[in-house]
Amino acid sequence: MTTGLVFDIKHFAVHDGPGIRTTVFVKGCPLRCMWCHNPESLTSEPQLMFTPSRCIGCGYCFKVCEQGAHITVNGAHEVDWNKCVACGKCAAECYSGALELAGKETSVDEVMEEVLKDKVFFENSKGGMTISGGEPLSQPEFTTEVFKKAKENGIHTSLDTSGYAAWSVIEKVIEYVDLVLYDLKQMDSGRHKEYTGVPNELIIENLKKIDKKGIPIWVRIPTIPGLNDGEDNFRKIGELLSGLKHLERVDILRYHKMAEAKYEHTGQDYRLKGMDTPEKDEVEHLKDILKGYGVFNVIIS
Amino acid sequence: MGTRISDYTFDDRLDRLRETKVRHAQRKVELLGPRDGDEQGNVALPLDQAIIVDAISGSGVPVKDMLLKGYEPETNHPSGGFFGAGIVGRNYRKLLEVHPTYIDPDSSMAGVYMVSFNSYRKPDWNPDYDYSHLHEDQERLGIDAGIGGLQHFCPDLKIGLDLGWGGLLDKVRKYREVNADTEFYDGLEDIILGMQDWIRRHGEEAARLAEGETDRDIKENLLAISEICLAQVSDPPGTFREACQWLTFFQAAAKMYNGSGEWGQLDELLRPFYDSDMEAGILAENEAIFHIACLLLSETAYIQLGGPDRDGNDLTSPVSYHVLEAIHRLKTPANIGVRVGPNVDPGLLRRGVEILLEDRMGFPKFIGDETVIEGWMRNGYSIEDARTRVYSGCHWLAIPGREYALMDIIKIDFAKLFDTTFWEMIEGEERSVDTLWERYRENLERAVRVTAEGIDIHFDRMYKVFPELFLDFFCHGPLEKGLDASNSGVEFYHIGVDGASLANVADSFAAIRQRVEEEKRLDWDELADHLRKDWSGAEGERVRLMMKNIQRFGSGGSDADGWAAMITDEFTRIVKEKPTTGGYQMVPGLFSWAKVIPFGKRLGATPDGRRAGEPLSHGPNPSPGFNGGKGGSPTQMVTAVAAVQPGYGNTAPLQIDIDPSLGDSEESIGKVEALIRSHFKMGGTMVNINVLNREMLEEANRNPEDHPDLIVRVTGFSAYFASLSPELRQYVVDRVINGDLDDDWTCI
Repeated sequence: MTTGLVFDIKHFAVHDGPGIRTTVFVKGCPLRCMWCHNPESLTSEPQLMFTPSRCIGCGYCFKVCEQGAHITVNGAHEVDWNKCVACGKCAAECYSGALELAGKETSVDEVMEEVLKDKVFFENSKGGMTISGGEPLSQPEFTTEVFKKAKENGIHTSLDTSGYAAWSVIEKVIEYVDLVLYDLKQMDSGRHKEYTGVPNELIIENLKKIDKKGIPIWVRIPTIPGLNDGEDNFRKIGELLSGLKHLERVDILRYHKMAEAKYEHTGQDYRLKGMDTPEKDEVEHLKDILKGYGVFNVIIS
Repeated sequence: MGTRISDYTFDDRLDRLRETKVRHAQRKVELLGPRDGDEQGNVALPLDQAIIVDAISGSGVPVKDMLLKGYEPETNHPSGGFFGAGIVGRNYRKLLEVHPTYIDPDSSMAGVYMVSFNSYRKPDWNPDYDYSHLHEDQERLGIDAGIGGLQHFCPDLKIGLDLGWGGLLDKVRKYREVNADTEFYDGLEDIILGMQDWIRRHGEEAARLAEGETDRDIKENLLAISEICLAQVSDPPGTFREACQWLTFFQAAAKMYNGSGEWGQLDELLRPFYDSDMEAGILAENEAIFHIACLLLSETAYIQLGGPDRDGNDLTSPVSYHVLEAIHRLKTPANIGVRVGPNVDPGLLRRGVEILLEDRMGFPKFIGDETVIEGWMRNGYSIEDARTRVYSGCHWLAIPGREYALMDIIKIDFAKLFDTTFWEMIEGEERSVDTLWERYRENLERAVRVTAEGIDIHFDRMYKVFPELFLDFFCHGPLEKGLDASNSGVEFYHIGVDGASLANVADSFAAIRQRVEEEKRLDWDELADHLRKDWSGAEGERVRLMMKNIQRFGSGGSDADGWAAMITDEFTRIVKEKPTTGGYQMVPGLFSWAKVIPFGKRLGATPDGRRAGEPLSHGPNPSPGFNGGKGGSPTQMVTAVAAVQPGYGNTAPLQIDIDPSLGDSEESIGKVEALIRSHFKMGGTMVNINVLNREMLEEANRNPEDHPDLIVRVTGFSAYFASLSPELRQYVVDRVINGDLDDDWTCI
């Protein structure tokens, strides 16, 4: 039985492709984007999340933790992240939801059971399912298997990917994919590596290959002030996109800091502290640049 | 009144009328306290004519009421009350004869009510008709019996629009010759005479105002009002404007009589007038929309738009769209239901959703055409009759003029019933979930029988206490037979019996099964102890959250979802099993109205982790945070509520609150439409949607007086947020906040 490490299944996802969708979030990603909205998605193992505002101070986590990872600092409950092994014992005792384990081995059937609950909505809204992450291509067998099952059930499928994977992997997965949501960030490979941990050549190459396969593509550009919102970057993106035959839409995703708390809750550093969300009109000119390359269906969100 | 108004376009007049409406609503709150119900069209009396007295609101909150100085009803009983058709009609006529007139020169419609006849009915039940033998069971089993319930059925206003008050008077006089019960006809005749006097005085007052008016446009409007009112003393309306005026007077006086507020299929009532005026070239679309807006401003009466006639033809017309346009321009509370189904113009749903997302006032609401028709047919009705049932109250439908049903009055509070059953079991020997369920079923059975007994008492006595006289005019049968609508005057009697607080009970059963029986995290005595202590003490909060944060009803496929379906099925089966002893069929629905507050206040802690006194869950809706403590998605809500439909044509309405960040783009509109259509496809009957911003709502809750025009959908009705009681405001806030974990969509 194929299983995957899933950290959330979101019903009524409205930003992950057309219509009403159900999005499956899988854990594990080869990239380390500084702005990542899902810091709990990065590692390929389960991970403890601690939301102090929900803690009622019952103290059960202190009792069950064999690592001594729950500590009191200045009278407040904290987690010693160096000691935590993400065994999940504390989360199992925590009814307030302050402690949760992100990531659970989930079978393809379990995922499909959840997705199929929404089939009526897919039919009435021309929606479907999306696998997002983390990076779905980091669990290629699971991802392929889920998409295959979805297609068997007549459900529209979207892959939300960074594109950073071997072509042999992508080729197998996209056999069952109706739409690819493809992230583009920075066209300068050096800067790309600086911000995400990996260079971009493979990503650009894979995008062209997917296009050649004739699969519809929505490109998504997380737009981070100072990092990739330069006009030069968007001109290069425009150039690349102008060569695609199956590009249907481009989303400019404005940076937002809603994920900042999640970094704290998982004991990770947030490198973009203090950065603000750009106003819509501040990125409007980027849309115009893309238009200059014949890319017209651009949506700012 | 003689001051010159610089701009007198329809838009300017609507702007001022909206401001006036908000001012009236604020003044009512200042003088009378909050009101947990519809934002009614009444205007507070001038202080020199008012007596202010203590009263209790519909949701059980102490408020003030207003009486008219110089009016005293006659009494015919030692209790001080007045009972029976003759005296009721006489007293109402006297009230109409001294009731002030109301003319706003900006409006094309005259007449509002300022006092409620019900305020004078002390006591409102004849104490000779004792039913105290039912009190203990009613209390123990959580029954709101509905004995003495008023209106809550739909008149057929075509009768009035065809005959006018003069024609109705002729009809009364004709049938009093045929039948013997003169007291009944005395009452009817007095009411008409009172109406004619009140309408005539509006005509005279408008003429007087016109005389002193210097602005040509205003003068013209006042003269038109005068002419129309004077004609309507006897004549039926002839033009579109006259029809709107006729409905305005009807509605104000019906509301004043006993709280009735139903227009029903308004688009079709007005369509013939619209068509003939348009054909004659005497009406412009913009003017029609303005008159409708003035009509809607006069009262938040319940309206259906679109939907089938007897033969299945869709009644959607330009008037349907004009009604939506009128409320879109007006932006005041309203109760408009749009019928949705494969046989209804899809443009109406589209326009309805556009307005819902753009204006964020919580309306229109949406009614599942096929499910309510098919459901009603299960009660033995023909498809033709079932099609004619129209939306005419918070969550209910009725066949105009042919059906009397006490809709939305009789409630069985599932949670109170559970509480009683739980403690009975704890005091006994055998404790298990199976035993609890067995006893719950027995008590539910008992509750329905006690409710049935109450229904029979109502029918035996009500017409001798306080007959429906005002609505009798607009029914098929009462005048002809000489029998009140509450006394076999009309054709159909299927009595609505609603279950309330389903989720609390389903979640309680599931939490006990999981935590006590399966996981053995605590035993029955410990649970009982925590409930008695309302989750206080060292472990209390942890245990509360343990009971609360299971996969609850709404999460889909959980044990609690199973309980919710089972409770609904059992309730439906028992209600439908047999009629009352008196032969009245009952029809099950699931709806709590604003009673989630008083029902919650009287109840101790429940095993679903609810604290003592907290509000109960709403109708068939899941409690907020049903995914193990996390907020749910609209699709889960839509699916969950569709799965607990009793299925006999009375509704179990879905209530969703969504965040405005969704926007009102074409794409968003399509998604909301898909949610609505999916719900009906799955068997759902009615959808209410709020579009509310959390931060704004919290701010408005802190400083309601700074947000006098914020409109929210509370339950079956929508109202000014600032006019609600603090308890109900908090309930709406909690529903929105606690449901949220999602950055895009807030939903319970």
